[in-house]
Amino acid sequence: MRFKNWLSLLFPVLVLASMYPACKKANLDDAAFAEHTAEYAFPLFNTTLSLKDLMFKVLNDSLSGDTIVVNADNTMTLYYSGDVAEKPASDIFAFFNFPPNAPPIPVPDSLYAYPLEVPDSVFVRRTDVLTGDMIVIIFNSLPEPVHGVFSIPQMSKNGVVFEYPFTVGANSNIFSPTFNLGGYTLLSDSNTLQFRYEAYLPGGERIVFPEPFPGFPGVGISLQNFTLSYVEGYWGFSEYPLTLDTIDIDINQTNLKGNVQVKDPKVTMTISNSWGFPTRGVVKYLSFIGKDGEEYKLESSVFNNDSIDFDYPSWVAGEIGQTKYTHVVLDGTNSNIATIFNAQPTQLIYEVAGISNAKRDPSIIGFLTNESTIALRMNVELVLEGSVQDFGAEQTLDLNFGSYGDIDTAHIESVEFKVVTENQTPIATALQLYFLDENAQAVDSLFVGAPQFIMEAAPVDAGGNAIGQKRTETFVSMDIARFDRVRQTDKILLRTFFTTANGGLTPVKLLANQQTAVKLGMKVKTRY
Amino acid sequence: MKTTCFFRYIFLIAIASFAREAGAQQELMLHQQTGLWQASATNPAFFPKDKRLMIGLPSFGLDAAHSGDITYNDLLRREGNRTILDLSKAIGKLEPENEGYYDQRFETVSLGLRLPAGFYLQAGHAVRINAVVNYPKALAELFWYGNAPYIGQTLNVGFSTTTFDWNELSLGLARRFGDRLTIGARAKFLSGISSLQTDDDHRLVSVYTDPDIYQLTLQTDYAFHSSSIISAIDTSGLGFDLAINELKNGFSANTGWAFDLGLQLQLGERLTLSASALDLGGRINWKENANYFRSNGSFTYDGVEIPGTDIINGTTDSLDFTAALDTLNDALQFQKTAESFHSTLPARFYIGGTFKLTERWSFGAVVHHQNSERRSATSVGVNAHWAVLKWLTLGVMYSVNGHSATNLGLSVVIRPGPAQLFIISDNALNAATPYGSAAVNFRFGGAVVF
Repeated sequence: MRFKNWLSLLFPVLVLASMYPACKKANLDDAAFAEHTAEYAFPLFNTTLSLKDLMFKVLNDSLSGDTIVVNADNTMTLYYSGDVAEKPASDIFAFFNFPPNAPPIPVPDSLYAYPLEVPDSVFVRRTDVLTGDMIVIIFNSLPEPVHGVFSIPQMSKNGVVFEYPFTVGANSNIFSPTFNLGGYTLLSDSNTLQFRYEAYLPGGERIVFPEPFPGFPGVGISLQNFTLSYVEGYWGFSEYPLTLDTIDIDINQTNLKGNVQVKDPKVTMTISNSWGFPTRGVVKYLSFIGKDGEEYKLESSVFNNDSIDFDYPSWVAGEIGQTKYTHVVLDGTNSNIATIFNAQPTQLIYEVAGISNAKRDPSIIGFLTNESTIALRMNVELVLEGSVQDFGAEQTLDLNFGSYGDIDTAHIESVEFKVVTENQTPIATALQLYFLDENAQAVDSLFVGAPQFIMEAAPVDAGGNAIGQKRTETFVSMDIARFDRVRQTDKILLRTFFTTANGGLTPVKLLANQQTAVKLGMKVKTRY
Repeated sequence: MKTTCFFRYIFLIAIASFAREAGAQQELMLHQQTGLWQASATNPAFFPKDKRLMIGLPSFGLDAAHSGDITYNDLLRREGNRTILDLSKAIGKLEPENEGYYDQRFETVSLGLRLPAGFYLQAGHAVRINAVVNYPKALAELFWYGNAPYIGQTLNVGFSTTTFDWNELSLGLARRFGDRLTIGARAKFLSGISSLQTDDDHRLVSVYTDPDIYQLTLQTDYAFHSSSIISAIDTSGLGFDLAINELKNGFSANTGWAFDLGLQLQLGERLTLSASALDLGGRINWKENANYFRSNGSFTYDGVEIPGTDIINGTTDSLDFTAALDTLNDALQFQKTAESFHSTLPARFYIGGTFKLTERWSFGAVVHHQNSERRSATSVGVNAHWAVLKWLTLGVMYSVNGHSATNLGLSVVIRPGPAQLFIISDNALNAATPYGSAAVNFRFGGAVVF
């Protein structure tokens, strides 16, 4: 019976033992996921690009003297201006050429007319001295002292003629004090300047200083730093070279490349002239060199026999110191400027000559000041309407995948990027991204091969106006090996290529209120 | 992969809740074992016949089930020393809305004493867990498959639960009236251990993934009460940290009362009827470590927003995807408020009868009903008991409940001397293979009776 009692105890023990696994608490602390595939989708970034902001940026980065104006109808006009050439009068007309350290002007007689250096056909009747230091030098080789007065009758200041009283001892010489000639006015009617002196011996006898040495007059004038502020006189007919130059011009100074066709460009040449006599500009040569290396000669009906008379400030009208402007507008109606512009000129080669008093008016009194210039300024006015094909740009950006760069890719099968664009502009964009390593070497690219259009152009009407917006979705799949390479990079080279609607064949209008949304999402397929 | 963390975070809260879940315990076969001391747990009028002193040894009972055919093995398995969570099979079995319940009773000790004048005194201590979780299939799908398969759909992933455990000290008195009727009553002092109870008025957690570039919209109007389970939710940075308190079994200031009533009626020599109502008025007031957490907001994450002017002007010269992703958490910012609340114990009712055919054979029937705020269920069973030997009684029961119409229960009761050892299950096949069963029910334990 004792055995029987033990048996009765053993039975429940066995039963309870068999229940143990069923009652044992599962430990979830170290739980792991069974192998399975999951896929997570989330947005990465979004941005909205305004065409107006983009244009301002492109222009601010690339051009100086430019401005962009948003018109009332939201069209945008680009104004680009630049000084092409500037010619001060002093470059052409040299008066009283007194270089530094020039020898004194000899005064061989008691009345001496010094010939002024003036251009041909110019008769000066008045000049105003801006600066000048003058010293009168007298050599007395006589055994008696001499006294007298040196004067320049045509030079006066505030109505007082310049005079210098002097006394010089026997067999002696003197140097006068330095006279500041600033503010003196010189009057002449024969392109000469008279120097005069009256010298007397103690006995009252008027003399002319003998030459102390053969060929060396007893009186001389030393002039230093002599400049004029004003010249007035008669300018007769005369042709002179105005300017000859080859200059780089680059309306498109960005890194953008491609075929750009701008509709109805307008170039305004503005001649600002402060020369106070009639000048005729003669275009001897004016050509543009396109980016293709071809030479495009400007052909225009606005020039009269390749010449144009510049407006000028009139002496008669009291316009001394004023600047007059002459505008020459070149557009599609009067020139081949559109052809030239769409060749994206890189150089301007020109030669312009000037003709004074081309009409040979004998009564013309003209003037020049020390600040008189003739300047040529080019203004380019572009309504942003046109077409582009593969108009490209490059930009390098830092790249930081953040926490996505630290993902344990052992659990990732693949990723897929989704690029969405909602484009209101009539511009399509092809894009390629190159992922760069620390040596700026591309380790991979977003698309295999050529750039792909990630943004289709908005539809346009017959007038080139965008109507509505175009949504484009682009999917880029990467297996984990590619993603692993890409996410380790820290820079991307972004190459974008813009093409307007219909493959760049239709001129379109770019409006300031057009914008494009660019959004990027990502799917990650995981395997645990 | 912080986004995955977010989705998994929600699901793990549900898992954490379900790991502790419960529902009122169905113990049909125990109720029919009126000779067992532990049967008094189902009816305070039950006392082993002709015994004066009853000492209850530790006894453990579990009644758990999941709607549908989800089993433990569908979710978890062991591989080496690790537990592997696998939802692949389970998700296919889920309904749009799912329920799991878990009711655990661990009786540490109990005492019964026959007093003069037909009185019976009883006292005991038990630790009980009661939990019900309702969750949508979308929660499991989002957790397991990610959000990409559900782009363009709004997934409602909010779940609800009532989960709490408590210490129970009971003191009861029964009296026999004549030879036929016994009436018992029991008062139970409840001391709450911990509780997690969602607010049904605020159960919204939805996730929408936009087809555009997968912008995420999170909308929450979700709230729950917690005492001594979750003390804080930190969504700062990119983390979702739950401060989960260590489970304690000690008594606390979270107290309440519940009452049991029962009767047993002997009709003739062979027929015995019984009825009981358990956990009447059962309620625990949670005051200690009691907090109310609420998340209410809507947040759409569009990715890093880079102003176009910054790109154009070069002021943004890098693409940095780290920024702003952590703001995804902002939608789940839980506001914590110290606030007391209460839990209501599910009331249970038994009505049973036993017909003693011979000295060795008896037959019976029992109806059980339970009712709570979140769940109500009724089960019916018929049983037969065979006293194989003087010390061995075997029982069998067929029962129907809301989960299954084919429950075969078994019981084994051994009485070596004054000891009573038993193992009982209302669904014996599931009890033997609990990992492969959608419902588990068993009770085992022992007592010494004199």
